Amino acid sequence: MERGSLNPSSQKYSALIWRQFKKSRLAVICLVFVAILAAVAVAAPFIANDRPVLMRYNGSWSMPVLKMPVALRGVDLYELMSNPPAGTWMLMPPIKYSPGSYDLSSVLAAPSLQHPFGTDGDGRDVAAQLVWGSRVSLSVGVVAVGIAVAIGVLLGLIAGFYGGWIDIAVSRFIEVMICFPTFFLILAVLAFVGPSIYNIMIVIGVTGWTGVARLVRGECLKLRRREFVMAAAASGARDRRVMLRHILPNSMAPVLVSASFGIAGAILVEASLSFLGFGVPPSQPSWGSMLSQAQQFMDIAWWLTLIPGSAIFFTITAYNLVGEALRDAIDPNLRT
Amino acid sequence: MNRLAYFIATALFLTVPIFTASCGGTVTRDPNVLATTLPANPPTLNPIMAADETSSEVDGYIYESLLKLNNRTLEREPQLAKDYDVSPDHLIYTFRLRRGVRWHDGTPFTADDVVYTFEQIRNPKVDAANLRNYFKDVKRIEKVDDFTVKFVYARPYFKALEIISGAPIISKHAFDNGEDFNSHPVGLRPVGTGPYRFVEWKTGRHIILSRNDDYWGPKPAITGISFKIVPDGTVRFELLKKGAIDMDSMRAIQWVRQTQGTSFTDNFTKHKYFVPNYSYIGWNMRGPYFNDVRVRRAMTMLVNRDAILREILLGEGEVVATSFYKFGDQCDRSIEPLPYDPVKARRLLEDAGWADTDGDGILDKDGLKFSFTLIIAAGSPLQRSMALMLHEDLAKAGIEMEIRQLEWATMIKLLFERKFDAAIMAWAMPLQQDPYQVWHSSQVDEGSNFLGFADARADRLMEDARQEFNKSKRNKLYREFQQIVHEEQPCTFLFQMPSLVAVAKRFEHVIDYRLGLDVLEWKIGPWPKLIEW
Amino acid sequence: MFTYIAKRLLLMIPTILGIAVITFAVVHLAPGDPASLKAQSASEALSSDRMTREIVEGTRALYGLDKPLHVQFAVWLKRIVTLDFGTSYRDHRPVIDKIGDALPITLTLNILTILIIYIVSIPVGAYTALKPKGFVDRASAILFMALYSLPSFWVAMMLIALLCSGDYLNWFPIVGFVSDGASILPWYGWVSNVAWHLVIPIACLTYGGFAFLSRFTRASMLEVIRQDYIRTARAKGLPEWRVAVRHGLRNALIPLLTLMGTLLPALLGGSVIIEQIFSIPGMGRLGFESVLARDYPVIMAIATISAALTLVSILITDIMYAVVDPRITFGKR
Repeated sequence: MERGSLNPSSQKYSALIWRQFKKSRLAVICLVFVAILAAVAVAAPFIANDRPVLMRYNGSWSMPVLKMPVALRGVDLYELMSNPPAGTWMLMPPIKYSPGSYDLSSVLAAPSLQHPFGTDGDGRDVAAQLVWGSRVSLSVGVVAVGIAVAIGVLLGLIAGFYGGWIDIAVSRFIEVMICFPTFFLILAVLAFVGPSIYNIMIVIGVTGWTGVARLVRGECLKLRRREFVMAAAASGARDRRVMLRHILPNSMAPVLVSASFGIAGAILVEASLSFLGFGVPPSQPSWGSMLSQAQQFMDIAWWLTLIPGSAIFFTITAYNLVGEALRDAIDPNLRT
Repeated sequence: MNRLAYFIATALFLTVPIFTASCGGTVTRDPNVLATTLPANPPTLNPIMAADETSSEVDGYIYESLLKLNNRTLEREPQLAKDYDVSPDHLIYTFRLRRGVRWHDGTPFTADDVVYTFEQIRNPKVDAANLRNYFKDVKRIEKVDDFTVKFVYARPYFKALEIISGAPIISKHAFDNGEDFNSHPVGLRPVGTGPYRFVEWKTGRHIILSRNDDYWGPKPAITGISFKIVPDGTVRFELLKKGAIDMDSMRAIQWVRQTQGTSFTDNFTKHKYFVPNYSYIGWNMRGPYFNDVRVRRAMTMLVNRDAILREILLGEGEVVATSFYKFGDQCDRSIEPLPYDPVKARRLLEDAGWADTDGDGILDKDGLKFSFTLIIAAGSPLQRSMALMLHEDLAKAGIEMEIRQLEWATMIKLLFERKFDAAIMAWAMPLQQDPYQVWHSSQVDEGSNFLGFADARADRLMEDARQEFNKSKRNKLYREFQQIVHEEQPCTFLFQMPSLVAVAKRFEHVIDYRLGLDVLEWKIGPWPKLIEW
Repeated sequence: MFTYIAKRLLLMIPTILGIAVITFAVVHLAPGDPASLKAQSASEALSSDRMTREIVEGTRALYGLDKPLHVQFAVWLKRIVTLDFGTSYRDHRPVIDKIGDALPITLTLNILTILIIYIVSIPVGAYTALKPKGFVDRASAILFMALYSLPSFWVAMMLIALLCSGDYLNWFPIVGFVSDGASILPWYGWVSNVAWHLVIPIACLTYGGFAFLSRFTRASMLEVIRQDYIRTARAKGLPEWRVAVRHGLRNALIPLLTLMGTLLPALLGGSVIIEQIFSIPGMGRLGFESVLARDYPVIMAIATISAALTLVSILITDIMYAVVDPRITFGKR
């Protein structure tokens, strides 16, 4: 039985993982949460916008969310909403504000029916910013960690498997990268290339792979002495096959744990960069920059701190729990 | 078992400091010492090399200049110079120095120190390029006798007296010992003639000064000043509230809404004054977007300055329409800022030829989309707020604006290379302003005229004003100049911001002068025990 | 073993060189240079009248920034070999002095932080591995994960507002690592004064680390516990705690060692924000200010010194790895 699980054929293996994963109800809930978050991020323009999702005006239908029809250009929508002429009909998104639309007459308004999560220091709706901000946080987290894991697994496998000069060369490269104080390097590079969301993703990814690489290399060193790998190699399996089929799945557990924590870490790094003024451009709301703006109003506007903080907290926790359940599912030692 | 032990160890770690700090780990704070903050570690305390507000703040207590500004009259009065003469052609300035002044190390102050100071400022090897720039027109500096110094100018300039008499005087014998001036240790342990002497500088932590008991003038009541170096504005505010410092400046919202409780009002008094400054959104007139005056006027009409002042700055400040100090005699206060009027702004843009011809929602002209980048300095909540509002309002008018929040180094670089479309900036300025460097056409390519403002009439007015020594005549020239700038709207002028300062109540006789508070004349009232946090 | 160490030491040379090249390149490609920065103030208000092209050019010539890049690099490389990092562009102080001031502070912070993280996480991780799905396992997992999910700057601001400001409780200082004038205190007073200052910053630095390390310990412990030799040990009839500590934990700690080597640079960088918030003049704050000021000599010296420290710690870890795990062999097979 144990032998079998160590030499998994791909389809049976993923089905096995899914069966194991489903056993944890909390993990499934978290997975659903992550999926909903992703959906919210993708559909943000339809959820929080100051333009109607669908409207009929002067006898023609349009979707102003996607593109403002020419007929409506220069028309004050607020005016139109409060006093619609005959034949005009519109469907507004659930949150009737854009993340950028400000209202100086309701600066720092506490949560109310009109603004369920209150408004910020310029009278912008916090809920709208939260919905749009999920785009930045999630994409930075996922893409950056994707980059990091891809680089890390590849280099770690190669180094650990081949050993010798290749290992030495890759290890030197890992060492060079590890020796850079990561956050310091991110700051310096962002100062150079300018803090756009893509640059942040790339910089976090490119500076964050060494942990994964070292883990994989370490596992690899350990595994290649184990008899099943030696047996596979002895039976004439090609290097790539040994690496991908025998070593990779067995070194995946720590990588997945580290990747799930990595997403959380990338979201935190993004928030920290915003705190230091190196985040995404201000016109793009992100949870991190919301928090960093909130600190100046700590004692008079609790909702500004609490709400984006909770968003980050729940998201990261969800990712961690999913990752952990996945780890348990993959781990042959825990299988019952 | 182990876990329990570790738990106990951790618990001890947390409680020990609380316990011991309350019985023996704390230091009491001397009530006669004023504790305040600096927002950054000064790069140097060499007053000639200092290009930084933090350095000048500290050096202001240690070093003195030939003349100083009177708090009430804002006129110049004797400090290290006893009196002075100006030749009728405004080319020769003769200063007679005060006798009996001693440096903090005990050696007497003489004309040699003054001559040495200006030699260093003018020495191209000295890292004082910014200060040196003011002395380009000085032909020579002469020591007449031990207590008389003569400055000869190549051409008259109305600010010459201010520039000479305002430069901090350094000690020749302290510096002139063969060591490199730029890295001279006295730059880190200053020796001056002022009312306070240098005691200690812990990099990034604090700078401590103590009263100079041999001071030639009236001795201040405060026996020492300690500057804590705290970069974060919110932390500075927390420090103030907890009583770790005695004086600090605040933001408008802190001033109005976050200092209402009795715990604050029982311990602090609030002071407000207007140091000359202004902020603006500058439009780069070289580019394809803002070379048309109608576009620039439209931009100004899209910025709702009154509402921002009312709701974000909570009324603490003034909307300005020119670059001159709103409360000074140079400013033409009859100029009304352009009103907030998005409808008219849209019409102006149309007149200038910007229209949405391809139906993508963004204005265009000759195939060019109206899409530009605004650069702002990182770390300023107000600039960020204004940029975001502008982003929104311009989008409604069919203009795409990207915001780039840059650290200062990058922003300055872009400004100097003229590689920007628009920028929000704030300027501090002297009481008597010479707009030449910022607005003269000769500065368009190389100088501080970032926006590329060039106007022959304005040039002539500024040139004439530089050599006009009659104040009212000069101010008339400047008024005319301001009218031209207003017509051209090279930038959207924003606000003159006040300095909002809280001072601990134990200090008495704290007077709000136009340009600030004068720590030297404060008295100290009774106060209970203070803790050094 | 000695040949192994000698080899590792030799291998450090190309690594250091690689670091130097990359740092130099990154730093020099960045826009904004100290010459133009020098021309104005550090705060947001510009001093008018003060900037001209002339100033910039003059300063650039003075600093030698007008020389070609490779010349600047060669000069700098020659200097680090002699441990001369030059003087700061910003205040003309020797760079080595500035780092000498900052490094002990950051090292104190980080060593205490690592110590606390390990002291808390390893026992918790080991215990939860022995009793998986038990109450302690679930509770610690949730608690540590909650802590890990909180951004440290946000927690720092909250703690300041709640525990360090005049608004609620006014218990702890929020600036620096020792009170001004604390040198008059007896040594125990001084130590407790420092401890008083470091409680909140260290709390902010440590809480995020528990989750990762305790889960990691748990995972590797779980793995070890299922190995044959543990079964053998159990079969021998050894008491359960002895099996867990002597056979299980000892082997489970091996992957933790690799982590220790990588923890140091992470903490050096991670403390930028905490040092900035609490005005602690350590390496993080020095580095951040140097990046803002484009103070090349300081940036490069920080990178080099951090790299050297990290390399040494990696070396020590690898040697410990060899000592702890006899299965890993070195040299040619």
